[in-house]
Amino acid sequence: MSLMPFASSRPLTLGVELELQLLSCNDYNLVSSAPDILRRVAKHTHPGDIKPEMTRSMIEINTSVQQEYAALVEELSALRKTVSDAGRFLNVAVAGGGTHPFQHWSEQKIFDAPRFHYLSELYGYLAKQFTIFGQHVHVGCAGPDEALHLMHMLSRYIPHFIALSASSPFVQGHDTGFASARLNSVFSFPLSGRAPFVLSWSDFEAFFAKMTATGVVESMKDFYWDIRPKPEFGTIEVRVCDTPLTVEVAAAIACYIQSMSRYIMVEQRTPPEEDDYLVYTFNRFQACRFGLEGIFIDPRSHERRTIREDITAMLNRIGDHASELGAVEALEQIRKILSAGNGASWFRRTYAREHNLGDVMQLQAELWMGN
Amino acid sequence: MTWSSYLPLWPLSVSPALWLALSLVVGVLVGEALVRYANLPRIVGYIGIGLLLGPGGMGLIPQLPAAEWRLVVDLALGILLFELGSKVNLRWLKANPWLAATSLLEAGASFFAVLLFLVWFDIPSVTAFVVAAISIATSPAIVVRIVTESRAQGQVTDRLLLMTALNCIYAVILYKIAVAFMHGETGTDLVHSILAPLYLISGSALLAWLFGVTFERIHHYVGRHEETFSFVLFGMIAFATIMASTLKLSPILVLLAAGLITRYQRQRPRSFPPHFGSAGAVLVVLMFIANGLAADLSGLRYGLLVLLLIVVRSAAKLLSVLALGHYSGIGVRQTVALGIALVPMSSVALLLTLDTSTMFPAFGAGMGLVLMSCIVILEIAGPIVMQKALKAAGETPEEKT
Repeated sequence: MSLMPFASSRPLTLGVELELQLLSCNDYNLVSSAPDILRRVAKHTHPGDIKPEMTRSMIEINTSVQQEYAALVEELSALRKTVSDAGRFLNVAVAGGGTHPFQHWSEQKIFDAPRFHYLSELYGYLAKQFTIFGQHVHVGCAGPDEALHLMHMLSRYIPHFIALSASSPFVQGHDTGFASARLNSVFSFPLSGRAPFVLSWSDFEAFFAKMTATGVVESMKDFYWDIRPKPEFGTIEVRVCDTPLTVEVAAAIACYIQSMSRYIMVEQRTPPEEDDYLVYTFNRFQACRFGLEGIFIDPRSHERRTIREDITAMLNRIGDHASELGAVEALEQIRKILSAGNGASWFRRTYAREHNLGDVMQLQAELWMGN
Repeated sequence: MTWSSYLPLWPLSVSPALWLALSLVVGVLVGEALVRYANLPRIVGYIGIGLLLGPGGMGLIPQLPAAEWRLVVDLALGILLFELGSKVNLRWLKANPWLAATSLLEAGASFFAVLLFLVWFDIPSVTAFVVAAISIATSPAIVVRIVTESRAQGQVTDRLLLMTALNCIYAVILYKIAVAFMHGETGTDLVHSILAPLYLISGSALLAWLFGVTFERIHHYVGRHEETFSFVLFGMIAFATIMASTLKLSPILVLLAAGLITRYQRQRPRSFPPHFGSAGAVLVVLMFIANGLAADLSGLRYGLLVLLLIVVRSAAKLLSVLALGHYSGIGVRQTVALGIALVPMSSVALLLTLDTSTMFPAFGAGMGLVLMSCIVILEIAGPIVMQKALKAAGETPEEKT
C-alpha cells in the first residue's frame, strides 16, 4: 500500500484529540464503560466526534477544524458536557490525566473492534498497557514539504509540550518520580520515537515505500512517532502530550503549539538539521522525568537551561504571533502553568493532602467534568 | 483420683459448637473445590454443606439453639447490608430518573404478580400479602458476596447493587405493614396496625442517621488506619444491630440505611476490605452455613406451587427491567443479565419468613414452608445464575490466557 497524497489544509488550523479516562463512581478505578457511554452520546447531537479507543475504559473526543483559542475552548467544553452528562447518567466519572494511578493493566478489556483486536493480538500485553491517555494536536500545513519542515522544527520543542501537559506521575499504585510516566509506555512500541530526517515529501514517500516493502508497516497509523505527518488531513500531529486535567489547559497547549508553528513558518529562517536530534532523547527524557524543572540543552548553542526558562523565552518570542492568531489568552494559561505547576504537580500536591489515590481521582474527575 | 476425673465420659457429650466448627472447615473446603473444579461461587458450597449436614439433610448437625444463631446471622447480615448501602450512590437516581422508575416498577411488579398469583391459588389474601412483600427483596447477602468474589464492575453491577438496596427497603416496609394487617386480623386495634410501621420507619431512620453521624466522626480520627477503623466499624455494626432488635426496629433497615446515609453524606466512596476484615468475613461464611442449616425443604410437597411462585416472581422482575432498560441507558444483553441477577433470595427473606412463622405458627406450617422452599432453591441456584449473568454482561475480569 502506498502513501496517500498529502491533502492541502489551511495553514495553522487546529484539531485536538483527547483520550479520556472512564472511572467507576464506587472506587474511582477505571471501568469498562466505553460501550455504554458511546451508546448514550449517540443519542445526542454534539460537535466534533466521540470515539472508542484501545481498551474499554477509554474514550476519545475529537474537535472539528478550529482556528482560534476561544472557539476551540467552546467546542471542547461542549464535548466535555456531552460526555460528562452521559457519565452522570451512567454513574461513570470522566477525567483527564495521562495515566490512571492505580489501575491494573491486566484488568483492562480490549474494545470490541477489528483494529483493536488486531493490535492486541500483535502487541500482546503492550496493548493493555496502552491504557494511557494522551492529547494529540493537529496543525494544518499548506503542503507536504512545509509539513515535514514544521515537523522537524517543532521536534526541538517537544520537551515544552511534554512538560506543560505532564499529568501522569503515578502508575500501578506508585509514584514513579516522573512528571509524565505515560510516555514510557509509548516508548516500548517498536515504531515509536521520531520520524526519519527527510525534508521532501518525495523522499518521505520513498522511505515509506521501503518500510512497507519490508512488511513492517502497512499505513501511517503503524508509526507511533512523537510527531507524524497525517497526509489525509494535510496536517502534522503532535502526539507527546498527556491529556491535561482541564479542557482549558488542553486548548492552551494546542494554541501554544499553533503560535509556535506560526513563529517557525514566518520568522525562523534557519532550516532544520540532522544534528538537532543529537540531544533529542536526552531533552525528552528530562521533560518526562522532571517536567518544567528538567534540563533543556539547545542543540545548536549547547546552552543548558531549565525547560521552564526555555518556555519563558519562547513565550516572549511568539507573543505577536499569538495575538495574530487570537491566542493571547492561551499564552496567559501557559504562564499560569509555569508558575502554578503542571498536572503532575497538582496530582502530587493533592495526594499529599488526601493520602488516598481514589479520592485524588475523584477530585481529578470533578476538575475535568467541572462540577 | 479416678479414671473419670481426667478421662472424658463415654459417650462424649459435645457442644453443638463443635459441629459448627467442623461444618465451617468442611464448608470452606467444599467452597474452594467448587471454585477450582466447577467454576461455581464459593457460597454455594457454604449453603450446600449446611443443607447437606443439617437437620434438613443428613441430620449430622443437630438443630442449633436459635438465639445464638440468630446473633451470628444478624451480625453477618448487618455487615453485608452496611457494605451494600455504602456501595450505592443515591445521587445517581437524580441524574438518571429512569433508574428510580425501573426500581419501583420491578418491586411493584414482583409484589402484585406474586400477590395476584397466590390469591388466584386460593391463598388467604393477608398471607399472600406477607409472601408478596417478602418476595420483593433480592438477596443483599448474595449480591454483595458475588460482586465481591467475581470482582464485577460496570452498569449491570452498579444497577444490581442499587436496585437490591432499594427493593430490600420496600420489602421490609411492606412486610411490616403486612404483619400489622395480620395482627389486625387476629384481633388488634387498627391504630396499632398503622402506628407499628410508622414507628419502624422513623425509628430505623433515626438510628441509621445517628450511626452515620458517629461513623463520620470516628472515621475523621482513625480513618487513616484501615485496620483499626475496620475493628471500630465492626463494633458499631454489632451495636446497631443489637440496638435495633432491642428497640424492636428492623436491623435490616437500620444497617442498610446507615450504609446509604454514610455514602450520601460524605459523597466520597471509601474502600474497605471485603466484609470489613477477616472477622466479618468469617461471620459471613457462618451465616451462609447457618442459612443452609435452617433450610427446610418440606414445602416441596407443594411442588407445583413452589415452582410457579419462583417462575412468577422471576418473570415479573425480568420483564419489568426489560421494559425500561433501554430508557435507562443499557443494552438488551445487559438488561437481561440485570433481570436475572435480581432473582436470588436468601437471608433477608429467610429472616422475615422465620419471624413470621414464630409470630404466626399457622403461617409457619403452611405458606411459610412453601416460601422457605423457594428461598432454599433460589439461594442455591441464585448465586450461580447471578455469577453467569454478570459474566455474560462482560462485567467480570477476562479470564487470563
